[in-house]
Amino acid sequence: MTMPDSLYGAVMLSLIDFFASLVMITGIGVVLALFPLLNRIGKVDEDALRKSQH
Amino acid sequence: MIEQFLAFFGALMDQTGLAHFWWGNAVMIAVGGVMIYLAVAKGYEPLLLVGIGFSCIIANVPGSDLIQPGGLFHYAYQGVQLLVVPPLIFFGVGAMTDFSPMIANPKLVILGAAAHLGIFVALIGAKLLGFTLNEAGAIGIIGGADGPMAIFMTIKLAPHLLPQISVAAYSYMALMPLIQPPVMKLLTTEDERRIRMKQSRQVTRLEKIAFPIVIGIIVNLFFPPVAPLITMLMLGNLFREVLVVNRLAKTAANELMNVIIIVLTVAIGSTMQADRFLTVDTIEIVGLGLVAFVFGTGSGVVGAKIMNLFLKEKINPLLGSAGIASVPIAARVSHNVALEYDKENYLIYHAMGPNLAGVFGTAISGAIMLALLGVK
Repeated sequence: MTMPDSLYGAVMLSLIDFFASLVMITGIGVVLALFPLLNRIGKVDEDALRKSQH
Repeated sequence: MIEQFLAFFGALMDQTGLAHFWWGNAVMIAVGGVMIYLAVAKGYEPLLLVGIGFSCIIANVPGSDLIQPGGLFHYAYQGVQLLVVPPLIFFGVGAMTDFSPMIANPKLVILGAAAHLGIFVALIGAKLLGFTLNEAGAIGIIGGADGPMAIFMTIKLAPHLLPQISVAAYSYMALMPLIQPPVMKLLTTEDERRIRMKQSRQVTRLEKIAFPIVIGIIVNLFFPPVAPLITMLMLGNLFREVLVVNRLAKTAANELMNVIIIVLTVAIGSTMQADRFLTVDTIEIVGLGLVAFVFGTGSGVVGAKIMNLFLKEKINPLLGSAGIASVPIAARVSHNVALEYDKENYLIYHAMGPNLAGVFGTAISGAIMLALLGVK
């Protein structure tokens, strides 16, 4: 089902899109908030990476 | 004899561009000239405006082979139309961008969505003016202040509006330092503009490497319509952050990006032919683009103020307007406006968080729009 090509469709599209975008981007924010947990896995040796240029 | 001479002369004239020149071409040549002037004399986005201005001038000299099939400008436009160029721009941008400000302060990511109200105000405005819903969607995306995304969405939704929409998007991005500050000041108090942000945490290399991989998976999983752009953004960023392929990262961020900018600018400029550009639609689209930028800036600032109602540690509401994307122009505007009221309040790093999130906000809005409109 797609939006009707009318003012009603434009308003509905806008409302759904705006709030869905807000929810989705909040979800990305939540994922990013978990990123510090990655540091429990270990540490990347940046010097070693810099030396091993390909 | 004289009649023959005149007939030959007439035929010769017909083969030149002069016979097909009309006042619209003169206007558009002047527009191209103004663009080059703004780039050279005023320093407004010279990387974009020089190429766009020149190719706009050439496209309005009737008979120019460059814009006809077989001409280089024509093939440059094919690169845009076939959606080869926009993902490559994102690839280069990814290789140039440090996403640490966004990773370090995830709560500011919400501003990347809050600042996109302008998209929908412009969309509804376009519908009221009689555009189709697909055209209105493409016009609305100007408010995302993301040039490649605006091009991507326009090609998908209303390719015939590409010249107007791309010119409006890039022009307003260049004019953001003029458009945003009055709106930001109108919606904030002096005390709010002076709020200082706490220093962000350090982001580790492991997080920086994980970021493009995790986002690449999320985007392809949830937002396939815009995955080509964000995936390439993430690939470029991965090249940058892994540190072991610096030569690829540098090529993506410099040489490749420069080539793509040349292709993009001549492609956009060459579509600005007078008969397509000098229409009422263009005036309406340019007007709606301004509305989108003003409302996007305002909604970002208001979004930050709403967040402050719930946060113990207040954020500077000037960061909200940076959520409109247009990296890094909007972040720089937030920083500069804050500096006007406190010479030691450096917001640039903090503003880059919502600014980068704005790129994702526009992409997500675009993906949802394409899905709701049934466009693949």
